[in-house]
Amino acid sequence: MEQPEADAASEDAMDSFLEKFQSQPYRGRFLEDRWEEEFEKIPLFMKKAPSEIDPQENPDLACLQSIIFDDERPPEEQAKTYKDEGNEYFKEKDYEKAVIAYTEGLKKKCADPDLNVVLYTNRAAAQYYLGNFRSALNDVTAARKLKPCHLKAIVRGALCHLELKNFAEAVNWCDEGLQIDAKEKKLLEMRIKADRLKRTQQRDIRKAKLKEKKEQNQNEALLQAIKARNIKLVSEAASEDEDSASEGLSALLDGLSLENPYGTRLSIDDQGRLSWPVLFLYPEYAQSDFISAFHEDSRFIDHLIVMFGETPSWDLEQKYCPDNLEVYFEDEDRAELYRVPPKSTLLQVLQHPRYFVKTLTPAFLVCVESSPFCRNYLQGRKVHQVK
Amino acid sequence: MPGDAGESAADAASRAGGVGAGGPPAPEAEAEAAELLPFLAPGARADLQAAAARHVLALTGSGPGRTLLAGQAALLRALAALAAAPAPAPARDAARALVNLAADPRLHEPLLAAAPALPARLLGRALDPQWPWAEEAAAALANLSREPAPCAALLEALAAAEPGEAGLGLERLVRALCTPGYNARAPLHYLAPVLSNLSQRPAARAFLLDPHRCVVQRLLPLTQDPDSTVRRGGVVGTLRNCCFEHRHHEWLLGPEVDILPFLLLPLAGPEDFSEEEMERLPVDLQYLPPDKQREPDADIRKMLIEAIMLLTATAPGRRQVRDQGAYLILRELHSWEPESDVRGACEKLIQVLIGDEPQRGMENLLEVQVPEDVERQLQELDRREQEQCQREQQEQQCQQELSPEPRSEGAAPT
Repeated sequence: MEQPEADAASEDAMDSFLEKFQSQPYRGRFLEDRWEEEFEKIPLFMKKAPSEIDPQENPDLACLQSIIFDDERPPEEQAKTYKDEGNEYFKEKDYEKAVIAYTEGLKKKCADPDLNVVLYTNRAAAQYYLGNFRSALNDVTAARKLKPCHLKAIVRGALCHLELKNFAEAVNWCDEGLQIDAKEKKLLEMRIKADRLKRTQQRDIRKAKLKEKKEQNQNEALLQAIKARNIKLVSEAASEDEDSASEGLSALLDGLSLENPYGTRLSIDDQGRLSWPVLFLYPEYAQSDFISAFHEDSRFIDHLIVMFGETPSWDLEQKYCPDNLEVYFEDEDRAELYRVPPKSTLLQVLQHPRYFVKTLTPAFLVCVESSPFCRNYLQGRKVHQVK
Repeated sequence: MPGDAGESAADAASRAGGVGAGGPPAPEAEAEAAELLPFLAPGARADLQAAAARHVLALTGSGPGRTLLAGQAALLRALAALAAAPAPAPARDAARALVNLAADPRLHEPLLAAAPALPARLLGRALDPQWPWAEEAAAALANLSREPAPCAALLEALAAAEPGEAGLGLERLVRALCTPGYNARAPLHYLAPVLSNLSQRPAARAFLLDPHRCVVQRLLPLTQDPDSTVRRGGVVGTLRNCCFEHRHHEWLLGPEVDILPFLLLPLAGPEDFSEEEMERLPVDLQYLPPDKQREPDADIRKMLIEAIMLLTATAPGRRQVRDQGAYLILRELHSWEPESDVRGACEKLIQVLIGDEPQRGMENLLEVQVPEDVERQLQELDRREQEQCQREQQEQQCQQELSPEPRSEGAAPT
């Protein structure tokens, strides 16, 4: 036991120590008004860790971190720490950070295969939620190499294949998983879903194929019909050559599927008669009319009667009437005009040796007979009369 | 051709000592056959073993030959051992001999009496991914399992093969059947008829139709296998037997199995339905390509129709079959079908689909009480139909017998 003198001395020391408390503020104390903030800074009481640890701001935390991630520790321990860290991030749905953590863990190349399998599989899960399905597949493949029976990796792999729409592969993976656990509910459900999607996908492919074939047949029929009528076609980039004209024709075959700029296309009816989209141009007023389906056996005059039943708004002199209109087509090569008798049918004109249909849309010029404009327009140009 | 093998075997057998046509084997023949025994024993000289096996194989090609062998228990036992023996034993010929023997129902009892472990041993070989003669083993099993006693023995062997959970043995069989390339040297088509025979037993069906597993679903795509009529036939037979379980109909017809499209697809041709009709069909039957072929084998077509007919036994089942557009497919099938009995079955099914709902008490046609006199009449009709079919069948060759290949040298005893 201590001697009474030492007792007295220590008592004094104690007293003065205690006195200090009452007079001097404790250096590490909380400030009254900010005690909650200060509380949060103490690692033990933290509700939420800061995403980056600044040693200045949070020396305690930085200290702990350096203890955890000490390179001196064996790789298995380090890897496990990274795994735990990754799992924490995963729970927070911070998948990017989780991937980084798992990657660090894998980098340690520790000798524990089970740990590596988990790291790969978990990283795969994180990648999955990030939408990186191929990376996720790489990871589960790596996991399965280490441990072929790892069900979680198989489930994740099947999920990835589902997202990538590799439905047949997804079914295969499910079957492989079911060989390990024949009653695994998730795999059973996924297999049903994947199989259904696979069969629907196959149906869609068949449907598209049939549609394509049908269109091709239709286009063939149209082309045949045009050929049979000896109608000459000209594509945008045609030259005067006969040979390249046939090349242009195959381009046209594709072009037949597309609608022309006005939104309609050449069509054939049940009796095998064609209807063309036809453009009427009025050079006098720079106007145009578009007939979406001009039946080849119908006459120009019949259309003109309908089109000019009422005076168009641009007809300032109100002179465009069905019976005084003249229809022309232009032979662009020779810069010559041909006057078309209004009572002719479209087919008759299209079959004219000098008529070339551009972009599958026959075009005609219309002006008023004997009008000053018309006379002016025709002056100096060679005009033929179509019989 | 079995016919040819029969003649050469009969020749060989008669050279071996004369076999009476249809009567009990002459004692000389029996003695000669017994003489083969030492050559078939394990450890015998390989070339002699092979020759003896070839001779036995030739014998199995004919009725009298088989009758002779039926009395030779020791021979049968030796044969059974040889069929599973590793090279250089003539396992293949021994297995083929067993196939021929097993095709003959008279031989089942002697075989099983002489070699009770035969089903298990054959099973082991059939399911061994490395065994080169697995197909022959499977074919022998297919023939054996046609009769109830060997079938039960086989099921037991399967159960014993996988200790622990029941049905795992069947799982191995299904896996071997459904995994392409399971055995690099044998296509294992004959596992399908084995399964079909097994599916006659409720225990097997219970496993196949376990809703917590994925078993029957894996069989469905095999109905379209282009490589083997035997495989397709076996699978369709299995499915038809499963359709007897009317308690499972809703599950079978529902999305978890979705059996109907797989039954209809082989019956469907390259039909050009309208857009509206197309949309009513199940996904698998829509927009079939113009080169779609129907199932070429009439018996399989009939089994498919029978399976669908079974599914229409209950009212909800009928409704589902109707709703999934079966009528359209059957209608087209009917106008194409060349075989009269298949066409008849098709007609009956169409009647069920388009006919009125049966009266109360008849909702489940599998459970209806049939009055005795009606029962007798129906049985009489069935019997007559059977006889007709059998007559037709006897004119055709038995398809499940494998015959020894015609050899340039005669199957002469050494």
